[in-house]
Amino acid sequence: MAWLKEFPSLGSDALGEIRRTVDGAFRGFTREHGEMMERLFDPLRDFLLASERLLTQSPWPFVVGGIALIAWLASRSLKIVVGTVITLLLIGFFGMWGDTMKTISMIFVCTVVALVVGLPLGIAMSRWDRLQRVINPTLDVMQTMPSFVYLIPVVMLLGIGRVPGLIAVVIYAIPPVIRFTNLGIRLVDKDLLEAADAFGSSTWQKMHQVQLPLALPTIMAGVNQTIMLSLAMVVIASMIGVQGLGQPVLKAISNQYFTMGIFNGLAIVGIAIIFDRVSQAYGKRLQRHLEVVHG
Amino acid sequence: MTYTPHLPLAVLTSALALSACGKKEEAASAAAVAPEAAVAQACGKVTVANMNWQSAEVLAHIDNIILSKGYGCEVELVPGDTMPTLTAMMEKGQPDVAPEAWINAVRQPLDAAVKEGKLHYAAESLKDGGVEGWWIPKYVADANPSIKTIDDALKHPELFPSAENKGKGAVHNCPSGWNCQLTTVNAFKAWGAAKQGFVLLDTGSAAGLDGSIAKAYERKQGWLGYYWAPTSILGKYEMVKLDAGYPHDKEAFETCNAKAECDKPVKTDWARAEVFTVVTDRFQKAGGPAVDYLKQRAWGNETVNALLAWMSANQATGADGAAHFLKTQPEVWSGWVSPEVAEKVKASL
Repeated sequence: MAWLKEFPSLGSDALGEIRRTVDGAFRGFTREHGEMMERLFDPLRDFLLASERLLTQSPWPFVVGGIALIAWLASRSLKIVVGTVITLLLIGFFGMWGDTMKTISMIFVCTVVALVVGLPLGIAMSRWDRLQRVINPTLDVMQTMPSFVYLIPVVMLLGIGRVPGLIAVVIYAIPPVIRFTNLGIRLVDKDLLEAADAFGSSTWQKMHQVQLPLALPTIMAGVNQTIMLSLAMVVIASMIGVQGLGQPVLKAISNQYFTMGIFNGLAIVGIAIIFDRVSQAYGKRLQRHLEVVHG
Repeated sequence: MTYTPHLPLAVLTSALALSACGKKEEAASAAAVAPEAAVAQACGKVTVANMNWQSAEVLAHIDNIILSKGYGCEVELVPGDTMPTLTAMMEKGQPDVAPEAWINAVRQPLDAAVKEGKLHYAAESLKDGGVEGWWIPKYVADANPSIKTIDDALKHPELFPSAENKGKGAVHNCPSGWNCQLTTVNAFKAWGAAKQGFVLLDTGSAAGLDGSIAKAYERKQGWLGYYWAPTSILGKYEMVKLDAGYPHDKEAFETCNAKAECDKPVKTDWARAEVFTVVTDRFQKAGGPAVDYLKQRAWGNETVNALLAWMSANQATGADGAAHFLKTQPEVWSGWVSPEVAEKVKASL
């Protein structure tokens, strides 16, 4: 009855063989194609560097003013703008300006990339059920797979630094955009689509002028979630050399610098709240605007 | 490093260790067999810190096997890291044994604790000590025989290009929050590397640092940065340590180079790190012959590198590595224990 007590598994030899083969194949791949993969991501790297330079090298009053302006345009709420400015000033006052700007720039680029990749995927998913059946489980894997499992291969391919960090963040943060876009479009009232059909709209016109605008508030909720998730990845990303608030948090963790950890943690929370309130207010405004139009 | 007691963490670590002990107790009373219980009396329960790097992990597992099979101790391995574990040992007397404590960074508080009698040094686990410094891959050293010292390397930023800063060289920093991060930052300053066209690249974690070496090596690219021996990475990827070109300046190193607030760091070699086994006073008194083993157990870097390289090649865990070592190199370890104990350990493998 030995087979009852011990799970029938591949022997350690076979398992070792599997590991060595897969690892060897991956190493071969890095040697062959690493250079090309790196070139492929060059534009992204330049985008990351440019956005970081813009935020870290502009004089701070401009940066604060710029962020406040964006907050105002998106939310039209004085309360949110004042809160944003106060949070930024406090962060700067406590000496975390540089790191915070690096983190904001990273989050900004990650969100843009997530949108550029996620929106079309979400739209495609809403149109083809079969695609939805493939993408949904993939998104589940992306959200649950421990990050370091795919971080190390990415580091082997692309080295350490911002680009692999961005990939890790986007993998973790992109699912909400895709899911909510899909959902938002699917939730659009069938009657409205029928009306659009009656007016003789083409598929493109329906998507562009009916479905997407009506789905926008839902999509904004997805964007909001994506931003929050990317902020959650800041510390993980810093473990492969992404600069920003994650680095001091790591330092604080391994040395038990309690205060330093709290300060930097709170700065992350601060930006999270700014991003959250602004994007939520924008989503709400979109909805109100639509209600007026449709009476 | 200035030392402040980190109480919350110490409490947490010891609480974990204690709760683990509680479980062991039940198991032990259930499985009490007369002759073994008599031996266990002499050694009792012992918690061994299983530090989170490879050489320490193997050593902890070797201690686990020898102490439990050879001396009948009830061994519990608890995860650890230099600062948290040693702090917990000083403050709370738990865990009992740190098999591979790199004591340079914590020497002041540790010496104080030893003087007070709370802790004791046992064997110098790594006979050759730990070596720290800046390393380059062997193929770079072979292609550029003129590069021998850190100064030589810093003359060639083009050989160690940074991906994110065009036209600059990169020095890979030690992981965030480790003590070597401070010494590397200060060395970077002392050698004026920035002026010579280098940037200091934060690697974030050991995984990041190792990954950057692996990537450079697979693609035969330039790499310059902090590393230390004995490590499996150095067994796997042949690297050459750059000569600092200056002797170790103990005074300057301890007062400035190893601190965060250091205005004028000087060019100095890293100290040969002393790596000791540290035991608590409780175990020193209660452990009996098991403590004598911990006072004997020391191995050289060559042995360790070879073992770590075997582990990497086979993707072996610390436990696998320990078993492999005990099976294949009895000539190294049988000197650490009495012949009877050696027999018991051999019989258990």
